[in-house]
Parts: sequence; structure tokens; C-alpha cells
Amino acid sequence: MDIICCPLDKHELDLEVDERDDEEVLAGSLVCTECGESYPIEDGIPNLLPPDMREDAPA
Amino acid sequence: MPGQPPTDDDDGRPSLATQRDTETVYQPAADSDLLARTARSHATPGDRGLDVGTGSGYVAETLAEAGVDVVASDLNPDACREAAARGVPAVRADLLAPFREDAFDLVTFNPPYLPTEPDKEWDDWMEHALSGGEDGRRLVDPFLEAVERVLAPGGRVFLLISSLTGIGDVQRYAHERGLAGEIVADEAHPYERLVVIRFESRDESPLP
Repeated sequence: MDIICCPLDKHELDLEVDERDDEEVLAGSLVCTECGESYPIEDGIPNLLPPDMREDAPA
Repeated sequence: MPGQPPTDDDDGRPSLATQRDTETVYQPAADSDLLARTARSHATPGDRGLDVGTGSGYVAETLAEAGVDVVASDLNPDACREAAARGVPAVRADLLAPFREDAFDLVTFNPPYLPTEPDKEWDDWMEHALSGGEDGRRLVDPFLEAVERVLAPGGRVFLLISSLTGIGDVQRYAHERGLAGEIVADEAHPYERLVVIRFESRDESPLP
């Protein structure tokens, strides 16, 4: 948490936990404290792509 | 040089679905190994590290073994999963966009660096991992523009580059953006020369 920020405006992110396994957050979201954009965490991996790139997967 | 990308040939090869895990993520090769060895030899236990475009997570795992507190990032979700499976915290990211100012002592990047004609591009994850666009610097240039922001004071960048990409061009581009570069590893291969360039903020560099 101390190394990541909102990719759009570089403000801090708030962690919202849906599912936790000991120390690790498995599912949840990271929400920008400034612009309110929400970034999903799935299988313990935060998806910090800007929203316009989130669905842009080749192949 | 990396292996060939997946094809649609149906000549007895396993289906793409069964190869998916191995063929959508660039696997460690001579370039990954040179970068991993070089960065590890310059790392200090306790350094905060970031491996950009981590692919299989090999470089990140090597740094973690050296005591670096490392995070792996990639655009490709399959790569993020492979890195996480090696025990390295992974985040899906567009280069350096979601990382904080002054966050890292060590940043490593083995970029897609092969110059590729536009009509030779193939749009899948392996192309993203290999092709550097027409000049080979599709991601190298934006990386160099952004990396100083995330470096802690005294922080260092280790960038793998091939002679196919133009080592001098990359160094000049970085110099114009306030980075001092020095080649710290150099290896000849059949069709290319691989180097690792260490960059530091020019403000932080000692005077010559």
C-alpha cells in the first residue's frame, strides 16, 4: 500500500477488503481518495490499469 | 533470442488452450538472466524494488532471493499470476503509472525491444512481450520519461537493452531526461549484443 497510488491522479488509495486469507487480501478493491475510481483486487492481484485499459486485452 | 510466438497452425501441436499458460507469458531467456544477475549483484538486502514487465517473474524472484523487498508488475494478467506463483507480490499496471513518487531504491525492466515493422505485428500477449514497435523503443522511451518520479533518492534503474534497439539512442534519450547511464553488463549473442544500463538521477550523481 505504501508504494502504490491512483494511476490517474497519483493520489492515495483506500483498501476495501472483501476476502482475506491471513495477511493477504484475496479480493477487494482499491479506491482513490481523490477521484473515487475503484481498482479491483482479484486472486490477490490488484488491477491498477487505468479504466480505459482494463478491458483492452489482446488475443 | 526468444522463441517463436504461437501460431494458428493445426498440425498436431497441442491446442492453444492447453499451451496457454506457457505461450502467453515470455519465459526466462538470456536477456532475463543477464538482467537478473546484474541487478542482484548491485542490490542491497532491504532495498525496495520494482520489476517492470516482469513476465514470468524470474528477475523479481532473483531479487527477492537477494533480500530485496520487491514488487512485480505487468500489463498481462497471466504474467502477474506467474509472478505471484513464484511468491512475489504482483500488480497489474501500465509501466510506472500506479507507483508512488520516491518509492523504490531499485527498478528493473527487461522491455520488449525488438524493432518490428507494423505489418509484421501480431496482436497477442507474446507480441506485447517482444515487439518494441518500429524503433524497438515503444515502451523504453515512456519508461525512461517516467522512471525518475518513482526513484527514491540514490535509487538506481537497471534496463536491459539489445544492440538491435540502438544502445546509444537509448542512452541519449535518457540523458536528455535527466538520467545518467552507465553500461554495467555486456554480453555478445549470435545476432545481438545485450547490455544492462544502470541509470541514476543526474542530480544524485557525484560530479566527475
